[in-house]
Amino acid sequence: MTQQRFLSHEGLVALVTKLVAAGTQVIAPVRASDDVEQVDYRPISKLDEAAFGVRLPRRPLKELFLPPTEVLLYYRQTKDGVEISEVPTNARPRVILGAVPCDAAALEVVDHVMSWDYKDELWFARREATTIVSLLCNLMDAACFCTAVGLGPESFRGSDVLLVPSEGGGYVAYIVTPKGEALLNDSLAEASEAAFAAAEAARSEARKKVEPNLPSIPAEFSQWLAKNFNDPIWKTLSLRCHGCGACAALCPTCHCFDIVDEHDGSEQGVRRRNWDSCQTAKFTMHASGHNPRATQAERFRQKVQHKFSIYPSRFGEILCTGCGRCSRNCPGGMDLPEIVSELMAKAQAGPEVNKQ
Amino acid sequence: MNIYQPHLMRIQEITDETIDTRTLKLEFRDPSVAAEFHFSAGQFGEYSVFGEGESTFCIASSPTRKGYIECSFKATGKVTNALRRLDVGDTLGFRGPYGNHFPLEEMKGRSILFIAGGIGLAPVRSVIWNVLDLRDQFKDITIVYGARTVADLVYKRELEEWGKRSDVKLCLAVDPGGQTPDWKGLVARIPTAVEQTVTNSVDTFAVICGPPIMIKFTLPVLAKLAFPGERIYTTLENRMKCGLGKCGHCNIGPTYVCKDGPVFTAAQIQALPQEF
Repeated sequence: MTQQRFLSHEGLVALVTKLVAAGTQVIAPVRASDDVEQVDYRPISKLDEAAFGVRLPRRPLKELFLPPTEVLLYYRQTKDGVEISEVPTNARPRVILGAVPCDAAALEVVDHVMSWDYKDELWFARREATTIVSLLCNLMDAACFCTAVGLGPESFRGSDVLLVPSEGGGYVAYIVTPKGEALLNDSLAEASEAAFAAAEAARSEARKKVEPNLPSIPAEFSQWLAKNFNDPIWKTLSLRCHGCGACAALCPTCHCFDIVDEHDGSEQGVRRRNWDSCQTAKFTMHASGHNPRATQAERFRQKVQHKFSIYPSRFGEILCTGCGRCSRNCPGGMDLPEIVSELMAKAQAGPEVNKQ
Repeated sequence: MNIYQPHLMRIQEITDETIDTRTLKLEFRDPSVAAEFHFSAGQFGEYSVFGEGESTFCIASSPTRKGYIECSFKATGKVTNALRRLDVGDTLGFRGPYGNHFPLEEMKGRSILFIAGGIGLAPVRSVIWNVLDLRDQFKDITIVYGARTVADLVYKRELEEWGKRSDVKLCLAVDPGGQTPDWKGLVARIPTAVEQTVTNSVDTFAVICGPPIMIKFTLPVLAKLAFPGERIYTTLENRMKCGLGKCGHCNIGPTYVCKDGPVFTAAQIQALPQEF
């Protein structure tokens, strides 16, 4: 259960100043330094550097929790043996302010795999040290489909607080977690009934703007995908895919990685994990040269199956937040909502269609 | 210690099995790690050469042999070639054990038919020694092992030892053309060798590892002998990075080889999407 309070603009300004002074990193959407049209999540030192409600940030929050490359260990190799030193698994406290709700939700979706039997301490140290204050999204365009995957522009999922713009430049703050409450407690006032009603209306308005993009994906879709693994449609769907992996890099939930060693010719070096993508040919290549997913059709099928069937069957939810970044940035014009829509239509039409 | 941090191991002994396949006998550098370490036959690990990277192999020794583990590998890529450059006394990294294991408890009181081809004997060897070290708890033990040529047979000293035992029925085979003038085993491919050696499946588990093509043509032979798919065990060997269910490399449809496997029954494999 959430509780709703009022956060004034001045209160938020003061909060950011206080946090920054205390050494807490505050990250918010800001105008990109290389392109004023674009927005990136970046550290800010005062609130007016933030660019709220301008545009969906180019990249999601993933890199703040699973960096594109990160050191797993340092080693030193001498004639007397090998010494390895661990990387610290603590993280500095930080606040993400103005996160888009789908980007916040993604983190909670990925938590499942990161805690599956073995806990990835590097991921969770950053998760635990971070408080996420999201802002009601009104940035939707035709590529968005968060409501189809069980989320929404007004969703609380993954957020500690959700802010909804209200009177006088202030916000109605929906306190979702104790962490969120601890962050804002001193800055909050009572929300008037009128302000709360307006916030609720704004939330439902925002939802309505996304809903027409793609109908809600039914639970049975996951089973249909599993059963139709060998359907010929995978070949035609993937024809435009270059296998570049841009979709995976920009995806808030794609979390696959590679582990590699790097040495500089001296006795020291590092072991790193780097983002990887199932769309590249070498991803599954055996040492023998045998490749279980030798064609792009198989690799694209893996991506869709993983997101909409495998992950739901393992962890109970879709590995996609409907942010649309993959569609907006695909050099081949692959459009995920369109593809999912086509597959859903085929699933609803039943097995007769397969025989045509 | 984060989950990607390896333990350091010292190479105790190096055995060249064939011209390109080598076995390393390894002990933990830290005695407290050694004391805590337990594994079951079929489990695997991530072995690393610092500066080169990690590679996935099964543990080829038996859990009944304490104080060390062994791995066997063929020099194929960057890491396996680097492993070959290491000497006795050198240090490598090891993370594990990971994955599931062969159902030794279930197999107790039954007969076991082991079938392996080439370096596929490595995971099977772990079970064979495990069973032989508890010999009185099992019924008949049959081993059918083959390789392309006599030179490609691994664990030759152990093959000799098994051949001498009266409580093991051993059938060795090499592919036609792979025999030497003094070769006393069969000249046949594995499916044929199994046909000639095995007469029934009564109360018997089958454990089979080897190249996919060998498994493909041996399964029908086992079916003809009336082995149910649930009593045939094998391992899958997908490319892996983490071994922990995180990195996303090894799945076959909904099945993660690192967590649901690497040991599967033939029945389970048949139900998987054919993408391995």
